[in-house]
This record gives sequence, C-alpha cells and structure tokens, in this order.
Amino acid sequence: MSLTRPASPPRRSRQSRRTTFRTALLAYSFMAPFLALLLLYHTWPIIFGTYLAFTNYNIISPPQFVGLDNFRELIRDQQFWSGVVNSLKYILVVPVIQLLSIGVAMLVNQPLKGIGFFRTAFYVPVVTSFAVVGLIWTWMYQQSGPVNFVLMHLGLMNRDSSLLNNPGSALYAVMFVTLWKGVGYYMVLYLAGLQSIGRELEEAAVIDGATRWQVFVNITLPGLRPTILVCSLLSTISAVKVFEEIFVMTQGGPVGSTYTALFFTYAKAFQDFRYGYAAAAGIVVAVISLIFGIVNFRLTRGGRVDA
Amino acid sequence: MTTTPTDFARTAAQLKARRRQRTRLHHLAAYSVLVLIALIMLYPFYWTLITSLEPTGNIYQAKLAPSGVSLRNYAAVLSGTTVPFWRMVLNSVVICTVGVLGSVTFAALAAYPLAKMRFAGRDLIFYAILALVVLPNESGLIVNYVTTIKLGLLEQRGPVWDMITQYAAIVLPSIASIVGLFLIRQAYLGVPLELIEAARIDGAKELTIWRRIMLPLSMPTIAAFAILEFVALWNSFLWARILPLDPQMLPLSAGLLELSGTFSTNSRATMAGAVLVIIPILIVFASLQRYFMRGIEGAVKG
Repeated sequence: MSLTRPASPPRRSRQSRRTTFRTALLAYSFMAPFLALLLLYHTWPIIFGTYLAFTNYNIISPPQFVGLDNFRELIRDQQFWSGVVNSLKYILVVPVIQLLSIGVAMLVNQPLKGIGFFRTAFYVPVVTSFAVVGLIWTWMYQQSGPVNFVLMHLGLMNRDSSLLNNPGSALYAVMFVTLWKGVGYYMVLYLAGLQSIGRELEEAAVIDGATRWQVFVNITLPGLRPTILVCSLLSTISAVKVFEEIFVMTQGGPVGSTYTALFFTYAKAFQDFRYGYAAAAGIVVAVISLIFGIVNFRLTRGGRVDA
Repeated sequence: MTTTPTDFARTAAQLKARRRQRTRLHHLAAYSVLVLIALIMLYPFYWTLITSLEPTGNIYQAKLAPSGVSLRNYAAVLSGTTVPFWRMVLNSVVICTVGVLGSVTFAALAAYPLAKMRFAGRDLIFYAILALVVLPNESGLIVNYVTTIKLGLLEQRGPVWDMITQYAAIVLPSIASIVGLFLIRQAYLGVPLELIEAARIDGAKELTIWRRIMLPLSMPTIAAFAILEFVALWNSFLWARILPLDPQMLPLSAGLLELSGTFSTNSRATMAGAVLVIIPILIVFASLQRYFMRGIEGAVKG
C-alpha cells in the first residue's frame, strides 16, 4: 500500500520560518497543475453531483432546488429498480471470474515451455477497447454466427437465434463478454499473488505426503487471500456499475432485459436531459455498490481479522 | 525372501518411469486446457480479421479460413467516404500524445513534494487525494459534461480555435491521474534522501533535482505508467461519444462506433476498421509487455 510515509528529515529545529514558507510555496507550485485539474474533474463532480441530486436541472436554466423529490420519484420508478435488479444479477460474474482467474493463474504459473505465449494471449482482450470487443461479440452472437454454431454442435441450443436478441439470454450473453475480457486482468494479479507464496512451502507439504487438493486448500488459497480480497472487491464494484459493454452491445435492450442501474443514469442524463434526476440515481447506485462492497469484504475475509 | 540391490535398482527405474509418464500426462492435460482457453480468447479476433478480408459470402458464419481474400473493405474504410478515417487516426494520436505527456508530467511533478518535501498540509492533501479514490463518483460523467459545456470548450469561434478546444474537452478530464500520482510517488520514496540533500547543499534548485535525480531514477515506473495511460486513452470512447463533438474530431475508438452506425449495411468494413484500431495497441502491448505488467501490479498495490 502507498500509505507508507516518506522519511522525514531528522532535523527541524533550525529551520527559519522563511525557508518553511519558501518550501511550502515550492511544494504547492509543483502540485498546482495536477491539483487544479483534480479539483475541476474529480472533486467538483462529487460536490456538484451531490447538490444536483436535490435539484431539477437541464443545463440551460439554473438548477432548481426540489428537496427529496428526485429520490421520492426514484423509489416509485419501475425502470430504475429493474435496472438495479439487472445490476445485481451482474454480480453473478464475480465468483465465476475469480475462480476462473485463479485456475488460469495456477495453470500459467507452471514452468511449461511456451507459457509466455499463453499469458500474453489471455491478456489480449484486456488491452482491447470495449468499443472493439463489444462490436466483435455482437457479430459473434449473430444468428448462425460462431457462438450459435458451437452451442448447437454441443447440443446446448436447439433454435438458431441470436442470444443478444432474446430477453431471456441477453444479459448472460453480455456477462460472458465481461468475463472473457476480464479473466486476463485478474489472472495477472493472481499470478503475482501466487509467485509471492513461494514454492518451498508447497514442496514441503508434498514431501510430507499432502495431496494436490490439500496443498491448494491449505497453502495456496490462504496465501492468495489478500489478492482474492482485492480482486473480488474490484470486480463486485465494477459489476454493479456495469455500463460500457451495455452501451456498445445492447443499449439496454431487448425489452429492457439488459437495462442496468448505471445505464438508467446515463439515459436520464443524456437522452432525457434530466441531470438532477440522473445524479440522484447515481447516488443510489453508489450506496448500493458500497453495501455490496462491504458484504463482499466480509465474505472474502471469512470472519478473519488479520486478512 | 531377500531383496538384492538389482531389485532395488529395478523398482527405482520403474518408479522413475511411472513418474515420468505421469508428468507427461499432466503436461498433456495442462496444454490441452491452455490451448482451449487460448482458442476462446483469440478466435474472435482471428474471425474478425478473416471476415474483414472476405469480399462476399456468408458473413457471420463460423469459419477457419476466409472464403476469399481482398482488401476491398479496408479500401472502403480508408477512403474516408463515410467516416474521415485518417483524420480520426490523427485525432487519436494528438489525444494520446497530449494525454500521456500531460498526465505523466503533472503526476511526476506533483508526486515530488508529496514524497520528498516537508511542508504544511502535505498529509492533508495526500489523504484528501486518497479519499477521492474511495468516494463515489457516479455523477462524474454528468458533472464533467456540464463543466465542459460551461467552460465553453464546445462553442464555435473559428476553425483552429475550435479544434484546440475540442481536443482539450476530450483530453482534459483524464489528465490528473491519481493512480499515476501514487505509482510515481512510490518510486520516488525509493530514491535515497542523501542524494537529494547532497544536491540541495550543492545549491541545486528543486526543479533541477526533480529533473536530474528523481526522473531518471524513477524511469521504469514512469514508463510503465505512460504505457498504461496510452492504452487507456487509445481505448476510451465513452466520453467522446457523449460529448456533442464535430464528427471530424472523434478519436478512433469512438469513431469505430460511428462507423458501425454508418456502415450498418456493410459490417465487413466495420470489421476492417476494428482490425485497424486494434493493431497499434497490440504492437505497443507486445513490445512493451514487461513494463505493462509491472504497471498493472503496481497500480493495484498502490
């Protein structure tokens, strides 16, 4: 963690007030350009966004304070809650992507010939834009396309229709894309975690007659605990806030089956021009993702305090 | 019955052979799974590439090789009759260059006092920035949109001026990178204080110390961050799609979605465009992979 503080100079006694002032001035001028942009594009959105949630605002006329009206409306807004439900369904991605990434990381952690190629190959989707990935998978999912070809040959599908056009399957089809694009990212993090465990412990256990499974459960998993904690937190939060894949692939359709909470926020702001109402929805989404972040933290910590 | 040394040798050999066989089986299993995953990861790209090369045929079919090869779809994209492709290349290059230089310079400057200077309010600023990472920012897109409009960055005043302000509108929000600040600060912390003190005693200005000592000694981290930032900027499309920009000003990733709209009758041309958008990233990633992974790991630890 970056919380480690810089080493302080040992002496402070003889510093005159003037040099202290000069140092501060210098320090702040080093930071000025960064802080200016940070204030404008990171801090201001939090302040103004919170204020907007209590107003009616359409950019053209000044914001009009309406108290809790936006939140009252949100509570009764069916579309918003079905968006929230879809966002929560998206959390299904989290356990799958974490287990898969751990498996893949263990696989590419083996000293096999050509393993570097596989690591690189699994990482390619991560460095590709969602604009590209979304389009590619929209084509892959087309009727008579590659996905249907495979599914029908495996006997998992009997009617040739695009998974993205079917309200029952569209959300899961998009989830698969998130999974496909994200596995490589978590693989790299788990790989770093695995390499920090060290082989000696595992080898010692094997010599003592432990089975592969015992080694995995008693040594590898506990060793990965900090990484699992961080990774599942990251993926839970990004699952609740899923947006880009929806934006490129389905725009919330068909019949609202992939309409997520953050897509609602986007649509209210940039299609209906109700910026205040959208900001209120944004705050509710933030609270929900915070709650699920905490739940996730409790679950992965497994009741342990030291993890 | 007594066991002779030859018996021992025989069982040892058998054991060794069995173990070797087991390793071989294990390798076979590992490689099969690896190849299967690699197919799932890479086939969509390969499919897009070969389909973009086909002049005609059954477009969405699963296939292993193109039914014919022509560069017609690439010509259609590059000729710029529907979207100004070369202009979008230029836009992406400008946005990435300004974005990477800006974010690296600003983060590298700001990290210096946070790591190596004592001044009033240092801890306050550090923790305030840290808090920004945690605080919810779901309305970020909305408020930044309002800010961009209110700053007048999208008003029309004259061709050259408009171009500059629209580039600024696209790139400014991503310049102050908190991840970059923490990464570089972490690298600065490793620079020995004696080196800096010695330079100060020799009368070096802080800016000189920053340029001559801090930057060179933190180069691996700075390079890693620069690559991460380049990839992020090249890939980002949402912000540019939301802003009401002149279509001439769109970067490639956002332009690709525009292309898929205008070329909806000819998806092969869009596929050609997708291939062209991916290639630069793949080159950067393949050649600078080591820095890249280091940046990812550092960014999460940071």
